[in-house]
Amino acid sequence: MILARVEGHATTTVSHPSLVGQKIALCTPIDEKGRRVGFPIAALDPIGSGLYAKVFITTDGRFSQSTTGDSASPIRNEIIGIIDSKS
Amino acid sequence: MKPAKVIGNVTLSQAASAFKGARWLVMSPQGPDELTGKNASGVSHGWTPVVYDNLGAGVGEDILYVEGSEATQPFGFPIPLDAINVAILDQIYFKPQL
Repeated sequence: MILARVEGHATTTVSHPSLVGQKIALCTPIDEKGRRVGFPIAALDPIGSGLYAKVFITTDGRFSQSTTGDSASPIRNEIIGIIDSKS
Repeated sequence: MKPAKVIGNVTLSQAASAFKGARWLVMSPQGPDELTGKNASGVSHGWTPVVYDNLGAGVGEDILYVEGSEATQPFGFPIPLDAINVAILDQIYFKPQL
């Protein structure tokens, strides 16, 4: 699981069919103090996390196949949880 | 899935039979400097992966690519592939929190 902060989004029209209608969030991996630790990752965002929300990203493709309902979907990053910023 | 910019393509004279008619693009992974335009060239230093493409992305376009075994998911037969282009991006909105 990757700890990340949502810092943007991207739109696409020409893509693999399983991406149609999916929201794509651009997230920057961060460490526990919120410092950037790598290049941005594009993740599916079925739960609609807002800008600068701290989130958990999974890298398991099989989970995305169930979200998109397409067993041939090559997607592997997906936001599965928004971290409560108070903790 | 990671954002990248197409900076070239590759044609193979000999390739594994599974890759008959494949199209290969050379990528430059996009970091925060490239996505925010601070690095105007848009080409990050570091490795430039070659990814399989069947969406028809051209040089200069931004795309999303996937690495790992998930890249072979769209194919119904065994294929020695670990990076594939999954989307050609229209717009990128990226505002890093400083």
